[in-house]
Amino acid sequence: MRNSTTTLLTSIALIAGAQAIASTDIPDHPSGIEYEELVFEPPVASDYRHELSSGVPVFMAPSKEFPLVTIRFSFKGGEYLEPEGKAGLAGITGQLMRSGGNSAFGPSELDEEFDFLAANVSASIGGTTANASINCLTSNFDEAYALFVDMMKTPRFDEKRLGVLKSQILESLKTRNDDGLQIAIREMGFLMWGEKHFEGRVVTKQSIESITVEDIRAFHQRIFHPGNLMISVTGDFDEQEMLTVLEGTVDGWSVGEISPEVPAPTHVFEPGVYYYEKDQPQVQVLIGHRGIERDNPDAISVQIMNDILGGSGFTSRITNSVRTREGLAYTAGSVFSNKVEYPGMFMSYFFTKTATAAFGTKLVFDEFEKIQKEMAATDEIEVMQNSAIETFPRTFESKGAMLGIFMSDERTDRPSDHWQTYRERVRSVSQEDVQRAANEYLHPQDAIILMVGPWEEIQAGNASSEADANRIVTMDAFFGGNATELPQRDPETMEPIETPKEKVSQE
Amino acid sequence: MRKSLAIASMMLATATSALGQQVEPIEYTLDNGMKFLLMPRDEQPNIITAGWISPVGSVNERPGIVGVSHLLEHLLFKGTDAIGTSDPELDKQYREQLTEIREQMRAYALDVQYDRMHKGEIDNPWDPENDTAELRELRAQMTAIQDKQAEITIKNEFDSIYTGNGASGMNAGTSNDFTIYYINIPSNKLELWAWMESDRLDNPSMRELDAERFVVIEERRQRLEATATGKLDEQFDSMFWVASPYGFPVIGWMSDLMAYTEDEIYEYFETYYQPANLTGVIVGDFDPDDAKQLVESYFGRLENKREAPAPVVTHSVPLLGELRFTGECDCQDQVEVRYRSVPFGHPDEAVFDVMADILNGRTGRLYKSLVEEQEIATSARAGNRSNHFAGSFSFSAVPKGRAELVDLEAAWYEQLERLKTEPVGERELQKIKNQQAADTFRGLQDNSSLFFQLAITEAFDSYEYLNEMPKRVQAVTSQDILRVANQYFKDNNRAVALYTRKGGEKPLITLDDVRASLPEDMAAMMMPQIENQLQQLEMLGIDELKSGLEEMQAMAGQYPPQLKTAMEYMQQQVEQRIKQLEAERNSDASEGDDQ
Repeated sequence: MRNSTTTLLTSIALIAGAQAIASTDIPDHPSGIEYEELVFEPPVASDYRHELSSGVPVFMAPSKEFPLVTIRFSFKGGEYLEPEGKAGLAGITGQLMRSGGNSAFGPSELDEEFDFLAANVSASIGGTTANASINCLTSNFDEAYALFVDMMKTPRFDEKRLGVLKSQILESLKTRNDDGLQIAIREMGFLMWGEKHFEGRVVTKQSIESITVEDIRAFHQRIFHPGNLMISVTGDFDEQEMLTVLEGTVDGWSVGEISPEVPAPTHVFEPGVYYYEKDQPQVQVLIGHRGIERDNPDAISVQIMNDILGGSGFTSRITNSVRTREGLAYTAGSVFSNKVEYPGMFMSYFFTKTATAAFGTKLVFDEFEKIQKEMAATDEIEVMQNSAIETFPRTFESKGAMLGIFMSDERTDRPSDHWQTYRERVRSVSQEDVQRAANEYLHPQDAIILMVGPWEEIQAGNASSEADANRIVTMDAFFGGNATELPQRDPETMEPIETPKEKVSQE
Repeated sequence: MRKSLAIASMMLATATSALGQQVEPIEYTLDNGMKFLLMPRDEQPNIITAGWISPVGSVNERPGIVGVSHLLEHLLFKGTDAIGTSDPELDKQYREQLTEIREQMRAYALDVQYDRMHKGEIDNPWDPENDTAELRELRAQMTAIQDKQAEITIKNEFDSIYTGNGASGMNAGTSNDFTIYYINIPSNKLELWAWMESDRLDNPSMRELDAERFVVIEERRQRLEATATGKLDEQFDSMFWVASPYGFPVIGWMSDLMAYTEDEIYEYFETYYQPANLTGVIVGDFDPDDAKQLVESYFGRLENKREAPAPVVTHSVPLLGELRFTGECDCQDQVEVRYRSVPFGHPDEAVFDVMADILNGRTGRLYKSLVEEQEIATSARAGNRSNHFAGSFSFSAVPKGRAELVDLEAAWYEQLERLKTEPVGERELQKIKNQQAADTFRGLQDNSSLFFQLAITEAFDSYEYLNEMPKRVQAVTSQDILRVANQYFKDNNRAVALYTRKGGEKPLITLDDVRASLPEDMAAMMMPQIENQLQQLEMLGIDELKSGLEEMQAMAGQYPPQLKTAMEYMQQQVEQRIKQLEAERNSDASEGDDQ
């Protein structure tokens, strides 16, 4: 409808000259605008999937727009494979692969070659996957790619560069108590996952110092081999030629032990109020408990419920109440971070001045209660459903992102019709589903409330600055006023140390 | 050698082809002067990034309203007369009542609270913590009206309309120089965008002003006051720019955030947000003729209500000496040396950019020299920032181990001397140009990156900058670098910031450090000697130690470099021993003394 009007107007405009463009009727409210239907079919992995003769999957999506090629080698394996006492080995192995030279060139020479060829090369090892990738101009692809493959398969792991890297990391460890949010996230990890599981574990001075080139070589060999590999290619290239190139790369590369499944954490967390003393004008407040698995059948109901609660910016309730209405925080919201292998974490968060940390927490708890007790309005649910459905094409926006999804889905055995049925499943979420999800997956009474800041001021609440008696809240409102002080930690070793308070009283 | 020459010539060809990649948006200007840049692209189907920009930022502010550009940006998300309330008439009444109370509170603060401040009773006349009973009463009245207004407010309707229509990433940003509003929308929702954006430019409600003031204050705490270096950075900026409004923090001074009035905010809005001062940019999957039609209908409604605003008048005076700023924070030790450079579009901007690239990265001079060879830094970088009306170039670094900030500073001056006296080698320069050519492509691949580049360059001057700048970079010669380094970087026109960790002390040198610092053969010989000398220290008296120390200090410059750590260690041990002996003597002397 709109389309035909516009076309007509445009043709009139062409005849009469640009100034003759007529004005469209402007509705009083945007709900009066009519839209053309937008047809979008999600891409299907099999249309992009190829296999090398060795069975390694290759996903390709060519495009001629720019004379650049990007190839990503993705390997199963990550921090979860770090041996006891070697936290940081994964990160260091990835970084030193990139900075430590290859079999043909020493580190500085290789860096020079890549830089001169204007190739962006990276290597990294994350929690559960490892990547090596190159983005370069098609005009010097052969040369840059050969250097890259040499680096990926036979990195030199130069000792001196390892020394530089370790000293950089050791220096950065000293800053771990400088930023309140960094403290909050780390302590929440310890409380939620324990200090042993890789989700909660952090590097220490000792673990970094203990890492040797032999550790790094062994870790590299364990992960970077064709048994763990998937490849994606985007940019300007010919598919058949690329397959030949990749065959050549993988050919003769011996297959090692395939990485095992990611282990689930065994730590059981203790609900309650925790605080970490720090002298700062703003408090980081995190409220969290364990969440859900990615493939939980209720995952979409939980997603819509959390979008209403605090997961969709200004439109969500926590943001509206803590930020917009009361002006207590710039950042406020909630998130379910789902994990494939075990339930992830639910967390609500906001940062506010010390006096209003308790009031803000009360507002968040009020929202938990409201979404559990009262059914959400249909139009509120509809906004979130429309959003999920209409933003769906963005999931596949860039070809790189699309292929990334295909690789991750295959690696984690995601149900094959997931994307094809996604929008229907979103549309079918009902008011009852939302309420049920809130009751089943939100557990405010069994949550951890973690605060970083000056506890005495936090605890006292906002009585001295709040004009409205109904808005005065102290920390007595939570867990019967009980709170556990977390020990101050040495930033480098993470060992608990005596608290500054005790120090002050001794002087 | 042959090989690298061959590569150089090949790369030159690539670089030239990158320059052929012209950015050519469709330009369309409305009768009211609002200009649009339309850039249809089908690489990312069904998606559009759209937005608009005003060349206004904290640089346009004055004392008393610092931060107002940013607060205004927040307030433009608060809906309009039509969006955000179920009862526009009643909403207007509430807003008027709130304005009245706000004025009363302001008058009271300027009178009573200022008086109390002069008497030393309170430190801040605007902080609710310092409210008198009268003020507390007014604030309670305000809260009561806000609660009533909330009953007819459609919460965050401006956002939820977009959200429910599949828009995402709605946001805005304020800098020193510009304020930009942007969003990603499905291809079929361009009219919605035109409706929403032209409506908020036409009649913004600035609803919830009082709560939003506190949101921004929390933002200031989050971004600046509760960060490791935020407060010090703010003061260093302020010092560096002297007269120029680039010294204003974008987020605003705390005092001003508490104080500006509704009139001041509207005045600012009407001056800088008139259509002739704005540029709209649309990038992505759309039909440009449809888009012209829509923006004509919707944005064509807007009227210019004021004279065009004048550009920034106050320019900074040149630095006439070296400024040094030392501060302590919960942060890593770090140093920054900053100079004035050139504004956006200046012919020397490309030379500064190339110079920064020569210094940066793992193949750059700073990493090679400071991190790898001298091992005095864990990181070091340089950067040029050419703002709309003035620019700066800075070096910054974090020391490694026991290196001092002054060592890093000295190492920087050495690098600078090289830039001033030795022409940059051909291959080194070509490497930078190759990377820059490839990065030109990389920066154009993504809708939103293209959107920002078009909007910002057009707001300052013209998007043609995007086509011009790569050519200028390719044309930079080693002579240009010599000239610019000599012209702009002088001992008497720099500002130096030195931050050290609060309560931090340099770790003592250990025997292990000494052993590690010596070449292997030397270590075998020296270590027993050093240990032997350490034992002898125990037997010396204070005076002997002091004269020994003087001797060591006098000789300091004459030791071979590989003995530096060993000699520093000995000196450290002697000093420690002196301190220990002095402490013993003092504690003997103070016995029986009341003080």
